[in-house]
Amino acid sequence: MSELQILSDYIRSETGYEGELSPELDLLEKHILDSFNIVQWAMFIQEQFKIDLEAEELVRQNLSSLSRVMALIDSKRGQGKPN
Amino acid sequence: MLARMLSPFEEFGPSAGAIYCADRILQRLSPKLRLYFYELLEQPIPEEPLLPPRLAKCLELREIHAGAPELARMPARPDIKASRFRQEAICLAAFLKDEFVGHIWFCFRGYQEDEVRCTFLLPDEKHSVFDFDLYVFPEHRLGLGFVGIWNAANAFLRSRGVHRSYSRLTRFNLASRQAHRRLGARCIGRMLVLQLGKAEFTLATLPPYVHVSLSDRDRAQLKLRASRNVPGQARGRLVGQHARSGN
Repeated sequence: MSELQILSDYIRSETGYEGELSPELDLLEKHILDSFNIVQWAMFIQEQFKIDLEAEELVRQNLSSLSRVMALIDSKRGQGKPN
Repeated sequence: MLARMLSPFEEFGPSAGAIYCADRILQRLSPKLRLYFYELLEQPIPEEPLLPPRLAKCLELREIHAGAPELARMPARPDIKASRFRQEAICLAAFLKDEFVGHIWFCFRGYQEDEVRCTFLLPDEKHSVFDFDLYVFPEHRLGLGFVGIWNAANAFLRSRGVHRSYSRLTRFNLASRQAHRRLGARCIGRMLVLQLGKAEFTLATLPPYVHVSLSDRDRAQLKLRASRNVPGQARGRLVGQHARSGN
């Protein structure tokens, strides 16, 4: 299963969202994630992909869409650095 | 037009939607006319932290006092903030690596509401508290802010032997309502306050149930009631609860 699919499955299972889930979809703007479950989302990413996220990385710019999360994961693995 | 008229009913349900519309009509008639609809919540203070230690330690809560520079950045009016200190409320300011990101207030001996003439009386002053005006600056709302503040506030309250926190929430703040529910809050009562100029008429599902106030000195004394459930049942730690492999 691809990493993108893992992230999509998490969003669907945790939020019950059944609509289209494109990599660019803004999960916050669409109210799929809120101020509470965005932290759960970050915790999941951390545990699932074995990366350590810092408090200052838990921001909209990094977590608002699947593509941004993929970029964050890549950067944490040493392929660049966000923000 | 019709869709706009119906949207409060769809959003809040039939009765709350009707109250919302009535309040909007009253406000249009005069700024001195209001109809407030509140839910009274009881939130258990969990034993377990909400965040892992590595993230939790990034956010620090500090008690601040009258005259602190952070107060100027808080949205509430200066006279309201002054009145909170007069009633011995505690203000905890949240700092994320020394940046002021939000705040929360607590009253340990009941709370004198500033929006309507009502004082909320705690059921057990040793083990309960009233929380109000949790605020996170917009740039931190979709980060550690909300959960981080509650995580630190829970530790602060636990260290003082507090098991439950009570609050009042406007029925129409759905985001806040949902956030409280995620923290294990349950609705223990409702109240409706009609403001007609200087007069206030209160109807509540908790004692004294009905109150009429004709002056600022006459306040409803609303007795909050502890639910029968054992406190400390809130969802604790977020970490690990949802770590599904997905493969």
